[in-house]
Amino acid sequence: MHAYPVETHQLGNGLRVAVAPSDSPGVAVNLWYEVGSTDEAPHRTGFAHLFEHLMFQGSANVGSGEHMALIESAGGQVNATTSSDRTNYFETVPPGALELALWLEADRLQSLEITEANFEAQRAVVKEEKRERYDNRPYGDLLELVVGQHFPTSHPYGHLTIGSMEHLDAARLDDVAEFFDTWYRPSNARLVLAGAVTVDDGLALAERHFGSLPAKPAPPPRRVVDQPTLSPSALEISRDVPYDVGYLSWPTAHAADEQLPALELALSILADGHAARLHREIVRGSGLAQETSALHLTHRRAPSLALLVARPQDGIDPRRTLDAIHAALARFLDEGPSEEEFSRALAQHERAWLWDLATAESRADMFNEAWLVHGDPGELNAALAHVLTLTPDDVREAAARWLAPAHSSTLIYRQGA
Amino acid sequence: MRPNIRLAASRWQFPSPAVHELPNGLTVWHFPMPGQQVAAFELLQPIRLDDEPRHLEGVGTLACRALDEQTISHPQMQELLDAQGAALHGAAGHFGTRIGGLVPARRLARLAPLVVEVLSEPAYDPQDLALHVEALTVAHRSRRSSTTSAAQWAFRQALFADGERRGRPVAGTPPCLAAIEREDVVEWHTRHFAPSGATLVLAGDLDDPALEAWGQWQGQTERSPIRPATPGLARTVVVDVPGAVQATIIVGRRSIARQDARWAPARLAGHVLAGGFASRLNLELRERLGYTYGAGGGFSPDPTGSTLQISTNTRTDVAGEALRRMLAQLALTDDVTPAELADAKSYRIGVAPLANETSADIAAQAASLAESSLTTAFVNDHAAALAEVSEQEASRAWRELVSPDALVIAVAGNAEELRPQLVDLDPALVELD
Repeated sequence: MHAYPVETHQLGNGLRVAVAPSDSPGVAVNLWYEVGSTDEAPHRTGFAHLFEHLMFQGSANVGSGEHMALIESAGGQVNATTSSDRTNYFETVPPGALELALWLEADRLQSLEITEANFEAQRAVVKEEKRERYDNRPYGDLLELVVGQHFPTSHPYGHLTIGSMEHLDAARLDDVAEFFDTWYRPSNARLVLAGAVTVDDGLALAERHFGSLPAKPAPPPRRVVDQPTLSPSALEISRDVPYDVGYLSWPTAHAADEQLPALELALSILADGHAARLHREIVRGSGLAQETSALHLTHRRAPSLALLVARPQDGIDPRRTLDAIHAALARFLDEGPSEEEFSRALAQHERAWLWDLATAESRADMFNEAWLVHGDPGELNAALAHVLTLTPDDVREAAARWLAPAHSSTLIYRQGA
Repeated sequence: MRPNIRLAASRWQFPSPAVHELPNGLTVWHFPMPGQQVAAFELLQPIRLDDEPRHLEGVGTLACRALDEQTISHPQMQELLDAQGAALHGAAGHFGTRIGGLVPARRLARLAPLVVEVLSEPAYDPQDLALHVEALTVAHRSRRSSTTSAAQWAFRQALFADGERRGRPVAGTPPCLAAIEREDVVEWHTRHFAPSGATLVLAGDLDDPALEAWGQWQGQTERSPIRPATPGLARTVVVDVPGAVQATIIVGRRSIARQDARWAPARLAGHVLAGGFASRLNLELRERLGYTYGAGGGFSPDPTGSTLQISTNTRTDVAGEALRRMLAQLALTDDVTPAELADAKSYRIGVAPLANETSADIAAQAASLAESSLTTAFVNDHAAALAEVSEQEASRAWRELVSPDALVIAVAGNAEELRPQLVDLDPALVELD
């Protein structure tokens, strides 16, 4: 298996830098700040994400919106995302624009400048983002409902990244400065450069642009959340949706848990594709469902969430479909996967994993994830080999531990007004 | 000090494939891509949806979607494909049916005979067909529930003259789907699925393109010529999506083909107006006014021309104002400036190597070229043409091709709130079915 070499270094101000050279057409710059929606005050949800928008609104030497415009005009790609555990900023550029990308990132880390007008415009943009991604879509409140079944609202993982629009309305420009000062420090960030750059050049450029930024102590380490998850529950709602859907969900392992890869294989064997067990048994077999699928939302400091989804056959009550899934699941937890099911899931995992590694942009992000979750970006290179050492029994054990029917919560969307 | 950008010494070139004409009529384009551990393939058959019987529209989609469920020799075909780590996809477009996939490169030689079997002897089991009909029917129904897909549907419908196949849903409508029998699917497959005139694109870190296996695919058929479609009249249509909290606005029209001399200037002008984050439209509607999460679009080519399409989602109460501002921008009152043109050129030329980094990028682009009977030389000629465009040419091409009062406009959302905002455009409320 091909491994991507990676070297790490820490600057004097605490910024951690990794360079992973490869034969790629461009260089990916990928900066993770260790702050996400779980770090928000309970009355300020959505702030980490709003802040991500504000990071494109200008700094001492860069005008509002100019960051994106400059990268685009260099023939590059640029964006940012916010999750519960981190905020990432990334550019993929032709090698000749690497220095520009690093300079832009360093300038905003050093001197973010937000005006009242920019702040107002981005608050409005985020509201449109919420309408577009959640409110204006059928089943758009699914994630919020599932999260609410497992975490109380007072829990750091008990709200979505997009947050509450009322909270955003109440936010003030002062909050921006405070949030920036608390979290946006070299010591709270990891910079990965992947692709067409050598280790020496990458480290020298990182030093040149970030090295002079003042050192500030890192925020206190973020600890595992010990507040418990909620007991399993059943929720039925009626919405103006095109069809009924049923969901089973479970709190599962933390991102770094060594059982996580086996659990993900279990979900794949159950519900990934038309050779999957649930398709064979519930869709083609008993005809109680039209389609089934699975999803896993990984959390770093609290239980992740596993979901099994079923769209019932016309005229079949979703509860009956979910009961049938429970029965199929009980057999799976007892017997485990067959050798054939297991080896198919491994082959599918291998292709999906190699595909995720196919671009420098995606590799850079995966290095950062391995760094945050496992403490070492090099863990990325060991991950596939580790999965290939698993056995069908490992999958059975992980499924039995995390997917017990008695521990599942159910959510049913019924077609209605 | 802001660092300068060091431009590459020479312009990137789209790779040239090794071309193999197989005795069965199949043309293979092989792109060796060292380091791409996942190989991509795209098979393009020149099957035209114009040939679908009017009352059975969707049969082409069904024949494609259900193709790999089971074969006559192997009812467990899905298991066999999964065991190779393959992920297959397929779509029947108006001009071609594509079957493609991703697979670890070292397994492509073992996948090829399976794909040939799938192409040659699909079982089309009635239960599988019923599941696919149901899924297509549900997807059709779902399209009305979201403003984005409802506006897209209405836009396509208005873009072409009444009666044109291309204005109707690609995958048929529920009554057509319900009328399709297994024999219809089998007949469609028998008549159209054959290597004659088809192009297979292979890309990845491949030692062996498995030509012998692909050569085993047998069959022969006559391909129908591509028929150009008559465009619809400029008009504004509104689709009611009750309860919607945003409106989707799409404006555009049918336009020139890639071979037109104005293609390069038109694309650059389109980029300035609506192409990137820093486009005039996005800066105004998103960054300055906060009306939307994003606005953008451009020209998408096809074998008979192209479609200009620019869209945005806005909260309902500003939809009329957002549309007016879009139309004002599209009038291009102010010429494309030298700085804007330079940025558009460096983006469109410079992003090419990044946009073609993976095996799937190359395979998809090559299949699109093959569909229009172009070779990969077109990509490089186009990049050279982009570099030569002047501001005057970009502004002139845009104004010749796009007139704000000759556009198709589709707006989907809460019609009761939208209609008063759109009265000056004389909108027609349309039903989708």
